[in-house]
Amino acid sequence: MSKDRLTVVNKHICENSSNCYSLTQCNGTEKNNVAGQNEAPSMPKRRQEVLKWNGWGYKDSKFKVNKDGQVEFTGERYKLSGQTMPMLKEWMMATVGISLDHKTPAQPELTAKDIQAPIKNEEFMSDLRRTGISNTDDCQDRLFRAHGHTLHEIFLLREGKFKRIPDLVVWPTSHNEVVKIVELCCRHNVVLIPFGGGTSVSSALECPSAEQRMIVSLDTSQMNKILWVDEKNLTACCEAGIIGQDLERRLSEKGFCTGHEPDSMEFSSLGGWVATRASGMKKNIYGNIEDIVVHIKFVTPKGVMEKSCQVPRMSSGLDIHHFIMGSEGTLGVVTEVTLKIRPIPTCRKYGSIVFPQFENGVNCMREVARQRCAPASIRLMDNQQFQFGSALKPESKSLLQSFIEGIKKFYITKLKGFDPHKLAVATLLFEGTNEEVAAQEKRVYEIAAQFGGLPAGAENGERGYMLTFVIAYLRDLGFEYYIVAESFETSVPWDRCLDLCNNVKDRLYRECKEHGIQFPPYITCRVTQTYDAGACVYFYFGFNYRGISNPVQVYEAIENLAREEILANGGSVSHHHGIGKIRKQFLKQTVGDVGVGTMKAIKNYIDPENIFGNDNLMIGDLSSKL
Amino acid sequence: MSDQSRNSWIKQDNPRLVSARQKDIYEDILEDRRHSSDVVWSFRTREEPKYKYNKPRTPDEIRKHVMHSDRVKYAVEKVCSESGLPIEEVWKQAEEVMQEMSHNLSMGAIRGFAMFMVKVLKSLFKRVYVNTEGIQKVREMLVEYPVLLMPSHRSYFDFLLMSYVFYSYDLPLPVIAAAMDFMGMKFFGWLLRNSGAFYIRRSFGDDMLYWAVFTEYVQSQLVNGDHPIEFYVEGTRSRTSKSYAPKFGMLSASLEPYFKAHIPDIMVIPISISYDKILEETLYSYEILGVPKPKESTSGLFKARNLLSEDFGNVHVHFGEPLSIRKYTDGKVDRSVHSLAPRYIASLSDDENKLIQNLGYKVLLLHQEHMVISPWSLMAAVLVQNKDGIKIKQLEKEVEWIKRQATNLGAYIDWPGNESADAVLRSTLALHKNIAEVDSEDVVHLLEIQHPTRGSQDELMQAAAQHLIITLYKNQLMHIFVRVSMVTLSINSCTEETMSMNELYSKYEFLEHLLNRDFIFMPDSTKQDFENAMLTLTHNCGVVVEDGLLQVKKSTNKYTTFFSQMFEPFLLGYWVSFYSNEN
Repeated sequence: MSKDRLTVVNKHICENSSNCYSLTQCNGTEKNNVAGQNEAPSMPKRRQEVLKWNGWGYKDSKFKVNKDGQVEFTGERYKLSGQTMPMLKEWMMATVGISLDHKTPAQPELTAKDIQAPIKNEEFMSDLRRTGISNTDDCQDRLFRAHGHTLHEIFLLREGKFKRIPDLVVWPTSHNEVVKIVELCCRHNVVLIPFGGGTSVSSALECPSAEQRMIVSLDTSQMNKILWVDEKNLTACCEAGIIGQDLERRLSEKGFCTGHEPDSMEFSSLGGWVATRASGMKKNIYGNIEDIVVHIKFVTPKGVMEKSCQVPRMSSGLDIHHFIMGSEGTLGVVTEVTLKIRPIPTCRKYGSIVFPQFENGVNCMREVARQRCAPASIRLMDNQQFQFGSALKPESKSLLQSFIEGIKKFYITKLKGFDPHKLAVATLLFEGTNEEVAAQEKRVYEIAAQFGGLPAGAENGERGYMLTFVIAYLRDLGFEYYIVAESFETSVPWDRCLDLCNNVKDRLYRECKEHGIQFPPYITCRVTQTYDAGACVYFYFGFNYRGISNPVQVYEAIENLAREEILANGGSVSHHHGIGKIRKQFLKQTVGDVGVGTMKAIKNYIDPENIFGNDNLMIGDLSSKL
Repeated sequence: MSDQSRNSWIKQDNPRLVSARQKDIYEDILEDRRHSSDVVWSFRTREEPKYKYNKPRTPDEIRKHVMHSDRVKYAVEKVCSESGLPIEEVWKQAEEVMQEMSHNLSMGAIRGFAMFMVKVLKSLFKRVYVNTEGIQKVREMLVEYPVLLMPSHRSYFDFLLMSYVFYSYDLPLPVIAAAMDFMGMKFFGWLLRNSGAFYIRRSFGDDMLYWAVFTEYVQSQLVNGDHPIEFYVEGTRSRTSKSYAPKFGMLSASLEPYFKAHIPDIMVIPISISYDKILEETLYSYEILGVPKPKESTSGLFKARNLLSEDFGNVHVHFGEPLSIRKYTDGKVDRSVHSLAPRYIASLSDDENKLIQNLGYKVLLLHQEHMVISPWSLMAAVLVQNKDGIKIKQLEKEVEWIKRQATNLGAYIDWPGNESADAVLRSTLALHKNIAEVDSEDVVHLLEIQHPTRGSQDELMQAAAQHLIITLYKNQLMHIFVRVSMVTLSINSCTEETMSMNELYSKYEFLEHLLNRDFIFMPDSTKQDFENAMLTLTHNCGVVVEDGLLQVKKSTNKYTTFFSQMFEPFLLGYWVSFYSNEN
């Protein structure tokens, strides 16, 4: 299926690219010929031709209310594509009070007249021209790189205007070109903002509105080659612009995978993962990005920073990888990364467990973590999220299927006495050899039974994972009907996990009331990763803002209060979304004065002129709330 | 049908014929019990609201949980390593503490208790008034958040009453932190334990094991919302009818789960219980005089006097607005400081300790705000200055005047509006016929006060007891006047023509400092209290400030004199004890 997807995308790009752009062909000398190397980047330079300019994901895929008044998912990319979901509309009306009569349509696509003229540093431009590096000042290309997918950014695209957007987009095709660009920016005091997949949800990509210098967006999408694969050591060296789905697909042609699958993997890039300290769904087997990375090539204003060898571990003073990871584009740009790879597992299987209550599920996850027998992924959804998942069920194609569903429901609620408004569901993904998977399944279901959990089938599990991919699309539908929504996450020690979930939800409900929100908000969480010492918890929060004039400010105010609550509950500022700009106010509380000072000192040494001036993390005035 | 109303929709237009079942915000909960079977009522089915995260547990399961908790385990191990005792020995000690402390709340006992209580209440009191709106809020809050009940404490009857009120409104019965004194009482001790009383030692200093068991026991029940938890912030019954300074041990143990983020919030319900006539009135006055308090015993409680045959008037139970600890502490504490250690290790930040203290005072002030003042308190304030007797007409005039002042200062006075003042006074005197009577010449004078168990005392003791019992009731008024009086005391003693506001304030500060064991002042709000008092005095009481200077002469009037006189005895008391200590 993914191959089909690729060809569609490819065709799309090839038709257009020749007209507008001269594609610079890969000119590096390849050590090793990796399959698919000659294919065009699956992310075109003009991304808005494939992707929505003011929403999530592909242009062809979206939720819409069809002529029968049912919600339908368009396109043919996803399992859900072309399906109608008869229960979804009702769910939306019941949980957040959506009314089909009250719409908030987005503004039409912005054109040249709506977008501010670029600031031009002429000396920089003429030097850049001499290098032959592909670039554009096309207004829509610039707009596309002015943002990630934070709520207020998308809201601005739909209803407003950014104060500041990049003045130029450059598309280097190799490490050497990046070095040249960084040199030129330093020479001419031009701001450089690296741009990978553009899926940030921390406002990290937004241009500082007060920036007077020329801002260049460095788009890494054309640096998407796998440079070599080393099967002896099970490593692969890739350019940083490669996006998750391409990386996995191309490696799979050789029988390998990295196993790094963040929910954004269709769009997010390798360099972005490194710069934000990303986490993948299957980290229990493959590790998070910091466990996967073996070597990083990092271009900074002071020069290229990298280690001299590719070893599994070394003791050599402070680990430079550890301040590249999480630098969020403030110190430099990642150009090449060597990653661990693994043979593709032979067996891949979904599963699910239903618990009478959320608390049983948390205790079960804790036990699974204690015994270190977590499958590739184990996630626990609360009741609200389970209900949401059920609302996503497509129309039953067969009578038999709905009959079976009915029996299952009867068994769980009537015979086992689970309250459908209290039960929680864990979704599971097993990977390994057939024997390994069978053994894992047995062990996990045994533990679950101790906590009152019942196996509830592969289908529920699969739908749970699908939910995380489509929810970003669903937000766009919400926008059409007065709904603002966003997710946020944290990590927390085990003993505080359940309390944190309950307390943060309670805080959200209360703050909604205090902020005059007229409709019941939608608040749900899941425990989405397990570790030895704690868990990662993910919240979705949205509300119907009819009757409120400044929904985004209200949303942000409430999310900040929720974050305060998280910190009070012993949770962290972020598990993997990062700090960016929207969580800067919590950085000082998180790492202390010395911590912030150290970050600033590193920034000062590496980038004294603030060329990488995206204003994230420790840059600028850190207004501390404490 | 000759008495048919002029308006057909008025059922009863003679105010005297309307029962007092409903009165302002209060409702009498005894009325219905007087017309129905107590047994049927006690054994009816009850639907109780439950805390939304509650997992039902029996008293035994609660004890088990405590004994298996990290906190107790940690303390046992620590005590072991510090004392060198064998670990089994320390565990045994912990088990004993647990057994001694824990309640045994059971529905069977509760029903028995309810049947017993309803009979006692009906014979002791005319009416037991409860503000129903307050009950409604408690009912709502119980589902959402753990609840702490903090009643005022003037009588043994307080916690019996509280449990009865909860029983009768179909609310979950509270568990009550009680002093060990009751534990020894034979039948009663058992009944209380089974009705939800748990016993704590008055002081356990740095007994780590005791602390651990106690804290875990309280917190576990709070966090799981097994029952509302009730305790007296004053620590003991006030023998003087003034609020005692708050105690913080139980309060900090109860609030720690919020600071450590075990729960989203805690709702504190301040409850003011006002008695027309305090059951222990004579016991208190002799106790203050140094006649030792009789050891608590079941027979003592009822035999002391023929309590059950006496009339104790009305009781008012006022449930205050639930106070959210989250809101109260919002922005004042940083709970994330507890992220770096396991939550079972006791630790509160300085900010949190300060806030707990503040809250203790706050609750007492809220008690005072909603105390119901009986006409007898007003009369006591006059009688205490007219020990040789006063004409009832004169008494009436003085009482009316004080009533107006107290009302202006925010007091709630239980004065039946449809009665003549004379009738109110006479019926009040009838209720307190052991203290005062009106003779054939319409002169009101005080009576001898007998010690309940020891009979009559010598004359000096007599006079002192008489004074104290009257003061007991007068004291119910004092908190209303204390702030304005602290200003007027300085005005009245000033020999200059004018006084600067700064000087007046610094004198006020001094008086607050001097009197802060006698009265409740919110820490750190002296300035605001002073300003509010000045506003009252200048608006209502003829105090004159010109060009920022207080005009002493113009400001001396009936108001300022009366307010000052009320409090002069306190200053005199300090003055005397100061000089006797000097010598």
